[in-house]
Amino acid sequence: MRTDVAEDSVQLIEASALGDRRAFERLYDRFAGLVFALALRMLGARTDAEDLVQEVFLQAWRRAESYQPARGTPEAWLLTIARSRAVDRLRSSRSTRDGLERLHARPAVPPAEPASHLISREEDGLAVRSALNHLSEEQRRVLELSYFDGLTQSEIAARLGEPLGTIKTRIRLSLERLRRLLGAAGIGKVAP
Amino acid sequence: MTHDAWLERADVYALGALDGEERAWFEEHLSAGCSQCEERLAASREAAAWLARSLPTEVPSAEVKRRLFARIAREATPPIERRRSALSWSRVAGAVAAMAAVLVVGFLAWDAWTMRRLIGERDTEIRTLQEEKARRKEVYWLLENPQVLTIALAGQAPSPGAAGRFLWLPDERRGLLLTRGLPEAPAGKAYALWAIGSDGPVPAGLFSVDRMGRAQLAVSELAAPGSGRFRQFAVTLEPAAGGPLPTGPMHLAGFVDAKEPA
Repeated sequence: MRTDVAEDSVQLIEASALGDRRAFERLYDRFAGLVFALALRMLGARTDAEDLVQEVFLQAWRRAESYQPARGTPEAWLLTIARSRAVDRLRSSRSTRDGLERLHARPAVPPAEPASHLISREEDGLAVRSALNHLSEEQRRVLELSYFDGLTQSEIAARLGEPLGTIKTRIRLSLERLRRLLGAAGIGKVAP
Repeated sequence: MTHDAWLERADVYALGALDGEERAWFEEHLSAGCSQCEERLAASREAAAWLARSLPTEVPSAEVKRRLFARIAREATPPIERRRSALSWSRVAGAVAAMAAVLVVGFLAWDAWTMRRLIGERDTEIRTLQEEKARRKEVYWLLENPQVLTIALAGQAPSPGAAGRFLWLPDERRGLLLTRGLPEAPAGKAYALWAIGSDGPVPAGLFSVDRMGRAQLAVSELAAPGSGRFRQFAVTLEPAAGGPLPTGPMHLAGFVDAKEPA
């Protein structure tokens, strides 16, 4: 089923690139929640996160033709756009220390379990959370510092007071582990 | 460096955490077409995407969607449909378009004129180069000839800084004068080259100098020296029409080497 969804999403982006607004609306309905969740986790405030969702989808609409299936799923593409825009915001707005401390005060994996209309999202979410629990605390930490808090490898090294090489290796190992765990849980393989 | 280092960078890059020079290196490596890294990047991006999926589901307010699609509709609406609701804007747009049209026509005319001018300049340049090439060919031809005599011409009283060379083929009565350092001839005047033998001077041609004070004069079919051979060559300033005998001041002069069989 996931494969169908992923393929369908590619078609939706292709149709959007040709100006099909209905197709783009379906794409929005499918992924706005995910983009919003990421934006909220990264920026903290709902209004900022909602602005970001609008920016991300506006960019996706304007540049739908630049999407390349070989580079990842539509979902990953949207999340990459969202992350980079959120990082821009974080970098330009945070009076560094306060912002970071506020971000890190929040629990890494929030416990909320709301209902969702998104396809198998909750099941997957649970599987991923359990996969993340298999990572060491240190591994989870580098993933969160980079992915959610927008820190670069050098910033993470400085923050944790560890050598850059150690951080790189840890990032590699944690992603390797995550890929393997998700693969084992049958959710890591997503159609291109 | 082993390729594993690149794969590690692909992982760090997928998390958006690669920085500094390494980031530029990796992007270069990727755009050079490393399929292995591209695959790894896609796989790691998918894995990273699961970090976002692990977050609790949140739904943005309906207002976000409404604003977004209103904006998309505005951007997607062709101008013709917008005209009815925005008359004043359409007038402004019309004026702007008319102005743009005038500018475009003006630009095209200017462009065509510029192109014609450039082509004219190129033609002149090509002619100049062809003439220059012919002159150089003449110089080489003369220099290669074992019979050629080189006569050094020294600056005289009116222009002591000037100098010249006359490449001379006595048997063919043909040669080439090269000078530098002569002042530009005043209006109505020209420099004249004289070949001087035992019967007096023979006019060998008129010439002018360029702004750099340089000149070249090809001499061919020079009149015979009467008796014997030409012993001296000289440059004088004469009326532009020239004349059979020198009348003006001498600027350059040089003797054919006595040892040469001139």
